[in-house]
Amino acid sequence: MAWLEVCAASAIDEEDVMRFDQGDKTFAVYRGMDDDYYATDGLCSHEAVHLADGLVMDGLIECPKHNGRFDYRTGVAKGAPVCINLRTYPVKVEDGKVLISL
Amino acid sequence: MDDTKYGTRNKRGDWKPTEKIQFAPVLDWPFRPVRFAKWLISMDGFFLPWNTFFALSSVLVWWYLTPGTETTQTLAPGWIVYLLARNAVIVLVFYGLWHLRLYTQRAQGNSFKYDGKWPSTDNSAFLFKRQHTDNLIRTFGSAVPIWTAFEVGMLWASGNGYLPTISWAEHPIYLLALLLLTPFWADFHFYLVHRMIHWPPLYKHVHSVHHNNVNPGPFSGLAMHTVEHLLYFSSALIFLIVPASPLHFITQLLLKALGPAQTHSGFDKVVIGESSTLDTHSYAHYLHHKYFECNYADALIPLDKWFGTFHDGTPEKQEAMEQRLAARAAKWNQK
Repeated sequence: MAWLEVCAASAIDEEDVMRFDQGDKTFAVYRGMDDDYYATDGLCSHEAVHLADGLVMDGLIECPKHNGRFDYRTGVAKGAPVCINLRTYPVKVEDGKVLISL
Repeated sequence: MDDTKYGTRNKRGDWKPTEKIQFAPVLDWPFRPVRFAKWLISMDGFFLPWNTFFALSSVLVWWYLTPGTETTQTLAPGWIVYLLARNAVIVLVFYGLWHLRLYTQRAQGNSFKYDGKWPSTDNSAFLFKRQHTDNLIRTFGSAVPIWTAFEVGMLWASGNGYLPTISWAEHPIYLLALLLLTPFWADFHFYLVHRMIHWPPLYKHVHSVHHNNVNPGPFSGLAMHTVEHLLYFSSALIFLIVPASPLHFITQLLLKALGPAQTHSGFDKVVIGESSTLDTHSYAHYLHHKYFECNYADALIPLDKWFGTFHDGTPEKQEAMEQRLAARAAKWNQK
């Protein structure tokens, strides 16, 4: 499994999200309340808006456009108008850096 | 004013009322006459303040600001343009006052404001990325002309004897009773149209324009696609077959034109002075804007209760709604 470096672990605040672009793809990388990190597709499955501009709270990412919500830990759609789940990606922290496997 | 006496604010900054949404006691069974009587006459009940305000406004508009039959019998630019301007001014003043107090002056801050955030000024969902600009364009560019078109058509038809018009002198009780039914017909018609435009193809191309307003303000009320305006104001067409007077379709249209300012205000109460408040009765519709698939009607006729889409603001109803959504999402994710 190939791992790509996203950023320093401290670069993402608790309950926050960062956009990560790789080639022509875009991802959203999250830091939860317990220093746990996650990654999902970067665009909302409803209208292709960058989720990194949204609000992270209580395990959910809220899309900035229509307030559709996903559980960023599982990618599951949690609130209308979103119905289609996000794909999630393995994430780990090593040597103070966040790594993602695509 | 301390809104935490009436509700709670979460970590996100959203406020929700403690009291759950209840339907008007019109169709309660067994019928409860005391509750019904209280609902009729109490402040924040059926008559006061909003329906009385809309009824009186309609009478004034009909009596003082509507051309007579001799004028409306013939379609002519003069009176049509006058009606367009009249309606634009009415909307500007009424919606403008709501907006000025709650969003420009922010006279009560975010007390009783459902959504912790203020409307978007950088969101690609809106024309020119600004919610307020988008709302104004759709209100004055489409809603007001469509409202006026319905009114012109109905006045012209009435003036030429194409409507079953009857006089107040001969049928005062029937016409008064019919006037009292105005909000009920408006709510019932709204429910039917609303369910229709949530059908996915219509939602995608028509109703999504209105639903871009997930954090609505007064001017979001009429910010719709033109096709939705045509459907929305078509409630006045009932008077093509129901005997009535011009006041009835004028009232129906005025209620449809002005009512959304209140139901999209984004606030549960308007604070007046130091300790008084005026209920907006808008939480049910706010939840519809927030969650998309609940509360298709307002809380006058229990249509949402009958058809399983009622959200009264409680955690139990939230859970039920999330389960409905999860079932739908599961189908989508199998594709």
